[in-house]
Amino acid sequence: MIPVTYRASFSYLLRHPWQLALALLGISVGVAVIVAVDLANASARKAFLLSMDTITGEATHQIIGGPRGVTEDIYTRLRVNHGTRAIAPIIDGAATIDDVTMSILGVDLFAEREIRTFTGEALTRDTDASGANSLFAEFLVTPGAVTTSQQTAKQLGLSVGDTFELFVEGKNQQATLLAILPDDGNGSLDRLLVTDIATAQEWLGLAGWLSRIDVRIADGDQNSLAALEAALPGGTQLLSAAGRTRSTAEMSQAFMTNLTAMSLLALLVGLFLIFNSVNFSVLQRRPLIGVLRALGLTRRQLLAMILVEATVLGSIAAVFGMVLGVALGEQLLELVSRTINDLYFRVNVTNVSIETFSIAKGLIAGVGAALVAAALPAIEATSYQPRLALTRSALERGARRALPTVALTGIAVMASAVLLILTSGSNLVAGLAAVFLLILGFALCVPLFVRFASNLAAPLAGRLGGTSARMAVAGIASGLSRTGVAIVALAIAVSATIGVSVMVDSFRGSVSTWLQQTLQADVYAGLDRSGAMDPDLIETIRNIDGVVDMSTRKRASIEDENGRTELRVFEMPPASYAGAELIDADPSAAWTAWESSDALFVSEPYAYQNNVGAGDTVVLPTDFGPHKFAIAATFQSYDINASGIMMSRATYARHFDDDSIDSLGLYLADGVSADTVIEQIKALSAGRQELYISSNVSLRELSLLIFDRTFVITDILYWLTLGVAFIGILSAMLALQLERAREFATLRALGMTPTQVGSMIITQTGVIGLLSGLAAVPLGVVMAWVLIKVINRRAFGWQIDMSIGPGILLVAVAFAMGAALLAGLYPAYRAGRSQPAIAMREE
Amino acid sequence: MLIPRTCLVALLASFIFGSAYAEETGAQTSQLADLLGSDADPAFARAIAPRAFVFPQDHGPHPEFRNEWWYVTGNLDNEDGERFGFELTIFRFALTPSVSASKSAWRTNQVYIAHLAVTDADNKRFYVAQRYSRGAAGLAGAQAKPFRVWIDDWEMAGKAETGTWHLIADDEDFGIDLELRALKPPVLNGIDGLSQKSADPSNASYYYSITRLQTEGSLRIGENDYTVSGLSWLDREWSTSALAADQVGWDWFALQLDDGSELMIYGLRLENGTRDPASAGTFVSANGVTTHLAYDDVEISVLEEWSSPEGGSYPSRWLLRVPRFGLELNVTPVISDQELFTTVRYWEGAVDVTGEHELRPVEGRGYVELTGYAEE
Repeated sequence: MIPVTYRASFSYLLRHPWQLALALLGISVGVAVIVAVDLANASARKAFLLSMDTITGEATHQIIGGPRGVTEDIYTRLRVNHGTRAIAPIIDGAATIDDVTMSILGVDLFAEREIRTFTGEALTRDTDASGANSLFAEFLVTPGAVTTSQQTAKQLGLSVGDTFELFVEGKNQQATLLAILPDDGNGSLDRLLVTDIATAQEWLGLAGWLSRIDVRIADGDQNSLAALEAALPGGTQLLSAAGRTRSTAEMSQAFMTNLTAMSLLALLVGLFLIFNSVNFSVLQRRPLIGVLRALGLTRRQLLAMILVEATVLGSIAAVFGMVLGVALGEQLLELVSRTINDLYFRVNVTNVSIETFSIAKGLIAGVGAALVAAALPAIEATSYQPRLALTRSALERGARRALPTVALTGIAVMASAVLLILTSGSNLVAGLAAVFLLILGFALCVPLFVRFASNLAAPLAGRLGGTSARMAVAGIASGLSRTGVAIVALAIAVSATIGVSVMVDSFRGSVSTWLQQTLQADVYAGLDRSGAMDPDLIETIRNIDGVVDMSTRKRASIEDENGRTELRVFEMPPASYAGAELIDADPSAAWTAWESSDALFVSEPYAYQNNVGAGDTVVLPTDFGPHKFAIAATFQSYDINASGIMMSRATYARHFDDDSIDSLGLYLADGVSADTVIEQIKALSAGRQELYISSNVSLRELSLLIFDRTFVITDILYWLTLGVAFIGILSAMLALQLERAREFATLRALGMTPTQVGSMIITQTGVIGLLSGLAAVPLGVVMAWVLIKVINRRAFGWQIDMSIGPGILLVAVAFAMGAALLAGLYPAYRAGRSQPAIAMREE
Repeated sequence: MLIPRTCLVALLASFIFGSAYAEETGAQTSQLADLLGSDADPAFARAIAPRAFVFPQDHGPHPEFRNEWWYVTGNLDNEDGERFGFELTIFRFALTPSVSASKSAWRTNQVYIAHLAVTDADNKRFYVAQRYSRGAAGLAGAQAKPFRVWIDDWEMAGKAETGTWHLIADDEDFGIDLELRALKPPVLNGIDGLSQKSADPSNASYYYSITRLQTEGSLRIGENDYTVSGLSWLDREWSTSALAADQVGWDWFALQLDDGSELMIYGLRLENGTRDPASAGTFVSANGVTTHLAYDDVEISVLEEWSSPEGGSYPSRWLLRVPRFGLELNVTPVISDQELFTTVRYWEGAVDVTGEHELRPVEGRGYVELTGYAEE
């Protein structure tokens, strides 16, 4: 008995290959999006952690100092005076080879054994015929000798023994590839140059300094820890290595969270889509179900049949979805790691890591949603008397009755979202939860809206387009059990695009305005990243004809057990004060305090995250130990790095042993062309130090370009979401119209021309699109507001002015209509072509 | 005394980063020849002609030579008559004749390695530890004025006010803290301090010793601190190439007799099992008169052997005869197992001496070093 019913069920699906394909595609795409985003996020994070793990080695703690690091005599004292053995000095920095950014790891091989082995392993492997371990010796005595991974050597086109050039802090240096690092199989050593500490100091201009001292202390050995801490001078700190890795990873946390939020959005749309596809395939079989019931199948047997089918369908599609998701994820990963590299830290992902959790999530989403989607209509369909199940009207009557209750639930859910926002303080996860509650609540209200709207519009449509138009519009409401889900899916997708577009647009507008204000100097010159410009070169540039004033900047990173703080150290002429918009203090008093006392400005994100503002104090680690600074004001900033502090050069000089400058802002006399000055700086710096030189106009453009690049991912997810929605609407329309083939045939038999039937279908899908689009507008705007004022604020601390271009809304509605119309084309064509007699005879 | 064979950088890397490398390169003899042999970079200085030794300057480093060491061994007792031996050696090795100028204090061609060993005769235990470092950034180094040789927190340092040397070296399980006072002036070994190591005149070193140093201080084993006193011996040697290709190892004896005289002998063993004619020694009489001993002046008979649990067999009791001075000495290790598994594997241990000197019975103590036995 059972095999027969299953055969009936499957043969039904096989006789409707289009529908089967769409259901499969729908589930697959939904699963794929979930898997892809997860995979990209997880891979980037895992690659980073693996790499940190390898580099950190056995170190349990790290001794760090001020912006330049710790002085090397601290290390010598620890070893020689205190007999501390499980320590190793490290210099780290960055170099560029053919535009590829590499990390430099300067090590002392004699100390490495205590902490990590990969740095020296390669050097013990090969001995030449002369016997003496020349590689080990050469690594020590040859300036510029480096080792790197096989993959990196290949990428750079280098073989062992090759000499090559690299740029470190804008200066050209010579390196020799001495050996290949051991292959750890996960690429965590890629884009890394290991060199002797002497070479690293020479390249980075860090003679006398160490970036940090790695320390290994046995777990729970409080005595050694205390002894070491007691031996450290002020201005140095002993931090846990794991904690430091965490705080580095945390820099990208907000970005990752946003990405996850996008994936959840995709998941939600995906779920709707899956629900939609399966739901339809069951709804369409109501007559079959009725027949089977009449033939004596029990309710349970039928339910089991439908659920087994959904599971099989869901599983097959989920597998396809995962394959698709992995492919998609690899593309996405490229973008994600590029963004992380641009904004946060070096991450080199060679292995796509597919976590069981993502797979499980995809599977559960695929199979689970298919099951739920199938179960609801199945329960409903099997709950009627066999004969009733054969009729549509029973179903529609039930659906109509439920509408007000559903909508009320939706309003309650939305209200709870509002409540959640109001009560959750600055909790980002709660903010995201609120977004989803909003969407869910909204989704529940859409069907009622559609019924009202279509009932209202039907007479209007009748006046405008005659009976067929009237029938088309009225048909939407009467077929709500089938159209409702499609409309909801489309509306949510469209509202998400509105929300995200408005957010990105508003954000971009605010950043653009801010850049305009911030970039006060006419010409900027400096290093790509933190470092030290050649002091002589700075002097030469200052003396260029037409340069009337100059500001200097130094990016410094300081750190304590609470994490990392980015310092921006400025020396600037009063004329450029206007570049910083002080939000919460009287500018003239604040600037005076900033220049002349231990007062600093904090960025808006910093203020938000640390809950401080003008009048508060903040304790920062300095070269002479922790010091309390007054906050003179909060300044507006969209700097991607959340923890920003602006400090005057004079204040910095009092607390840090570092006089380096990494970039200059030049103010030109009236009538002096920026381009001329840029050319001069280029000529002056050529061969001395590679500088990044730009006018304020092109710097602004570049900043916006980077901004846009950051949101490429957002864009891609946005299109994916729309894609998912489009497939949803397409399958819904197709199913709806195909199901009504007999109805159309009847209409044809009654005298409607194929064109009339076709235009009726087109009208109906067009109106569905229009209604979805319209419904999407309020949700989209609310979502944009939540994204801007709640999510972005909570994630980054940014204050963004919301601005809604009417274009975005129009495009969204047009898109919804367009997608729906497109989806109606094939059914219209088919309905128009079908032979009424044959169509009526079928079944 | 000679550097333990295959020492220094050849195996340093493998010691630092694991044993795989050492296993892959079983042919250590050839490395020894290369390291201490004659094909060193010609830009290194060489010990070819006798030179004038000046103290205390020559206690300091000679970085233009490839290898150098400060080698202190001694026999000590505590108040309860418990017997100990110790060895603290600091090696200097130049990787290249010169090094490029650098702003970095870490740039260097000098590598330092130290070995510390303590023999606990009563408990028949032997303790070994080592250190290694670049000779830069204050981490390790050597200087004449004031005298100091150090790696990390291990050091030998001259104390101007007392005219003594202070040796401090501490590891997890044991350590020494000793003050050494020279009872005799430095003795130049070989011909005026030029010590020939093979028939090839370019294989030679500069070599002096202080053969009797009164030693006081403390020695720690585990939780136990012992107040100890006794006699130590200092060997100082520097060279660029010292060994010939056919030399497989050596036996070195540094013996202090209770009549106030000292005897140093090194026997260089050849591949064919015979003693190289370049083998030699020095006899220092109680009143400080030194005599160079040539190959023919010395007879060495092995009376017993000891098999290392790690493989290889070492001679373990000897009869030494120097007829010229009426010396006939039985030399016996205080314990058999004094084998070091440091960068290289060798045997270096405290010994007891009994016998005759000019027909008068003498007793004594000393240190013996045996290299080139471990590979078999």
